[in-house]
Amino acid sequence: MRNTGRFITMILILALLAPGALAQRTGFSASFGMASQRMDDLKYLQQYILDTYPVEGRITSSFPPFSTGSLNIIKEWYDHIHIGGGYSYSTTGGKSSYSDYSGSIYTEMDATSHRLGAFLSYSILGGEQLDLSLYGRVDANLTSVESESAINVLGIINRVYNKYRTISPSGSAGLELMYKFSGFSVGMVAGYLVDLPGNLTNTDSDNDLTDPNNRDRILTADWTGWHIEIKTLIWLNF
Amino acid sequence: MRKTTLVKVTLTALSLLSGCFYSDSEIYKVVPVADDPPEISVVTNLDTLYNPSVNDSLEVIYEVSIENGDLYFVDAVVADQTIHFSDTTHGSFWIYPDQSDETELDTLYMDFYHSTNSNSLADIAGYEALITNLKYAIDFSQEVSK
Repeated sequence: MRNTGRFITMILILALLAPGALAQRTGFSASFGMASQRMDDLKYLQQYILDTYPVEGRITSSFPPFSTGSLNIIKEWYDHIHIGGGYSYSTTGGKSSYSDYSGSIYTEMDATSHRLGAFLSYSILGGEQLDLSLYGRVDANLTSVESESAINVLGIINRVYNKYRTISPSGSAGLELMYKFSGFSVGMVAGYLVDLPGNLTNTDSDNDLTDPNNRDRILTADWTGWHIEIKTLIWLNF
Repeated sequence: MRKTTLVKVTLTALSLLSGCFYSDSEIYKVVPVADDPPEISVVTNLDTLYNPSVNDSLEVIYEVSIENGDLYFVDAVVADQTIHFSDTTHGSFWIYPDQSDETELDTLYMDFYHSTNSNSLADIAGYEALITNLKYAIDFSQEVSK
């Protein structure tokens, strides 16, 4: 994990010190879209918790593709190469529940990924207005998972809340298709993110989140999956 | 002009980011299908007595039979005071003269709390109960023993 941080820092420094870098344009980009993620362990945990319900509940959502977004600073290294770095986030979650006239029971899990990283994009088809680029990105990925279960029977409420965290390296690659205007571009990004998931640890107790059926296995949050986003790029000095 | 508009649109989009964090407001709602309620019968040693008298003391013996359900607890009350509480299907307790201010008849209430078989969350968690009531007139007069 420490090596990933060093690698990202090194790329950012190299980007700033790169020959000709200061002579090129600087801008920032914002993108927003949807991302899928594997989350096998959390889906497994969700099913396990559902099975412990005294009644027959139902999973109403199980870590579906949900929102993702990114804010980046971009440097035009060469005409066809952009480098930069910034912040990305993704979020998803799961919920299982049961409700009848006498009470209710639910479990809600929210997972959020905060990523800081650096990227490089290479224009493979550039024209006057359209630009198709390949990009690669590495990130340090901080995952936060909040889990809340509550049972309410005839007004008697019992609630359990836990928060887990993990830091993991992740990388993504994909394509960008941008339509260029004067001073800014808009377009789409599609790619695949590979997460090397780390162990989830309780933020209060520092205990690992273990598999309830196998105490030797520690559960993880895996953000590996596809993403597609709408992107805006604005050049600050054009 | 176009750049200003673009910046405004971007800032507006960013301000909406907080609304894009995951949430699921759906609740799986169920109308429980109830089974037949439990069949409960209670036999006590007072059943064949007419206004049993306490005298020095009176023992009450009861036995509960319940089919397709669970007995949660039994509550016996005289003069608004609980004189017996148990979660077993058979038991006994004593009534003493000082447990009532009445000099003649007072009422012994026996409440049997048992499962409803409604199959609701409260029923399955053991928080929902049907109550079967019995009551007996008890003679607290002291003349009987003299």
